[in-house]
Amino acid sequence: MSQRESETGETAGTGKLSSWPLFVALGLAVGEVGVVMAVYPLAIGGLVLFAGSVAGILTESGYAERPWRALTALSGLFVLLGLVVVWTQTGTELSTVQSALASTDTVVLRGFSITGAGVVSFAAGLAGSSITETGRAA
Amino acid sequence: MAGEQLALTVLMGVFLVGVVSLVSRMENLRAYAPLTSGDAGYGDSAATGHKPSGLLRWLTTVDHKDIGILYGVYATVAFVWGGLAVMLMRVELTTPALDVLGSTGVYNGLLTSHGITMLFLFGTPIIAAFSNYFIPLLIGADDMAFPRINGIAFWLLPPAALLIWAGFFLDPLTGGTVEAAQTSWVMYAPLSAEQANQGVDLMLLGLHLSGISATLGAINFIVTIFTERSPDVNWANLDIFSWTILTQSALILFAFPLLGSAIIMLLLDRNFQTAFFAVNGGSPILWQHLFWFFGHPEVYILVLPPMGLVSWILPKFSGRKLFGYKFVIYSTLAIGVLSFGVWAHHMFSTGIDPRIRASFMAVSLAIAIPSAVKTFNWIATMWNGNIRLTAPMLFCIGFVANFVIGGITGVFLAAIPIDLVLHDTYYVVGHFHWIVMGMIAFAAFGAIYYWFPIVTGKMYQKRLAKMHFWLSEIGVVITFFAMLLLGYLGMPRRYATYEFNGLIAPLSQVTTLHQVATLGAFIILFAQIIWVFNLVQSYLEGPVVETEDPWDLKETGQYSREFEWFAEQLDSTDDDAPALAADGRGEPSDD
Repeated sequence: MSQRESETGETAGTGKLSSWPLFVALGLAVGEVGVVMAVYPLAIGGLVLFAGSVAGILTESGYAERPWRALTALSGLFVLLGLVVVWTQTGTELSTVQSALASTDTVVLRGFSITGAGVVSFAAGLAGSSITETGRAA
Repeated sequence: MAGEQLALTVLMGVFLVGVVSLVSRMENLRAYAPLTSGDAGYGDSAATGHKPSGLLRWLTTVDHKDIGILYGVYATVAFVWGGLAVMLMRVELTTPALDVLGSTGVYNGLLTSHGITMLFLFGTPIIAAFSNYFIPLLIGADDMAFPRINGIAFWLLPPAALLIWAGFFLDPLTGGTVEAAQTSWVMYAPLSAEQANQGVDLMLLGLHLSGISATLGAINFIVTIFTERSPDVNWANLDIFSWTILTQSALILFAFPLLGSAIIMLLLDRNFQTAFFAVNGGSPILWQHLFWFFGHPEVYILVLPPMGLVSWILPKFSGRKLFGYKFVIYSTLAIGVLSFGVWAHHMFSTGIDPRIRASFMAVSLAIAIPSAVKTFNWIATMWNGNIRLTAPMLFCIGFVANFVIGGITGVFLAAIPIDLVLHDTYYVVGHFHWIVMGMIAFAAFGAIYYWFPIVTGKMYQKRLAKMHFWLSEIGVVITFFAMLLLGYLGMPRRYATYEFNGLIAPLSQVTTLHQVATLGAFIILFAQIIWVFNLVQSYLEGPVVETEDPWDLKETGQYSREFEWFAEQLDSTDDDAPALAADGRGEPSDD
């Protein structure tokens, strides 16, 4: 998303309106329902929306210059959190984690869905920052 | 199953693309909208005149006044839902047998939904409606300290409501596999842990979201009141409503995260084979401790701001300043502190240690002292005053009267021996409905009428408003007094039927009292129909308020800051579009 920047380098917002709060709330709600109720598309989509919106709102309110670093940080958190959930069922050995990919255990799948949301967010962050660097959006 | 997951994935993808396109549109809007430095809040904005029109405005607003209106509309919708749920229950209770609803499960679902809706989706949001709209005006702030977090706090609530009510919507869609939760609002384990119904999980998730929303709002109010006050507003002259919101926010900060944690533990018990609240290995009583450590402060979270509203409005129509301003604040703080030391009075009959019971009884009885301080101060404010019986004032007086009955029945229940007799009877239901309907809803109605000119720029129909009050008060007295009597007769609460042996209780009297309570409930319903009609009709067609002092407050020296703001709006608004900021026509500057 394009963001206008003020002369001081702070990203400027618009008086009295912001598109992000609605999506931060929706992302959290959908992600939470998806993870707890084991509906994986909702889990991944909701968490990606949440991460993207948090990055967006941080940028808009001037806490970050660009959203990509925040998005990448959040994606890292999701990957880690998801792996911790998987590890609770498999242990930390790589081979058991790999074999768990074929698992039908819903806790393992929940963990992978959180990790998946992290991977998608990471990819979005990577893509976003590369587009920014080529000057398509600043 | 795989097909369903695929369809959901596609839907989710389409949704995310929709989000990106909407956000892009907003960014285009930014290209010509006036800008302000982001991290400095919105107060420095020199030009706040532009807002998108229609639905987009309401979806994207972070203006405290708009968000206040959103909270108010949301709370009204929830009030209608909770009210209709209880009307079905009251109709069922006119006869001892199960003659109307078809199954006790439906009754239990309605009971659960009514309780949770009225407390979490009506009570808390209607207070947030007033605090969002008026706290910044009363303390001279440009907006809330964190306007975007304010937006997040509101937007968490619609998904929360959908999840809490989800069982009702999903029941017909899933052929009864997912039903409305039947846990009652207290969600006692092991019942709540063992009901294998996904409607309960959805409800818990919704409650969790509403807790996050309340916590975000509380943090915002604390920061706003501490840091955003105008230079001439100090702790000694901070208005009484802001004091109660500050205290309420502190209570929320300590209580709601605990509810969130307890809900997560319950979800883990239900879905991940943990045993926090299991009978074997865990403790169902642990749930009650955790729930009521949140639950009793929740009572004061709900009632302190209405007390603040009454303390603010009642003097305006008494022609006198609030009697004992300082002591009303001290009593608010005292109630706030004591509220965390009384939770086990909900558990006197669970077999907990009698010494613990006695200490909780003492603290519970002690709360009567600051409560009485408030009551006597309100009465003293009116004493020898020049009382004007406007609709807001009538609701304030009704509030005080109902508090006397609702409060004193509570003092009785705080005494262990009486509680052991009346526990889980309709006496308890009667007691807390005098408080919740007779006080919280009444204060909200009074405040809505009082500030109606500011929010809409119009005046309501005064005769209808007075009808609303009198029918509500009569309905409250009939319904909830009948419930107190039902409790004395031993009628247990939460039952869809009462076909018990006449040796246990006099069935004919119990039936009559239930019918009386239902009659009263219909009177309350009729009053609320008048209320909604009056608000909508007056908003659309009511006479435009052209004076800056619609309540003649200047005569008694009680003209206050929110009406000063109102006067500025009248001065700056175009004559052709006199309706104010709130309705989106001609948004004037805040500065």
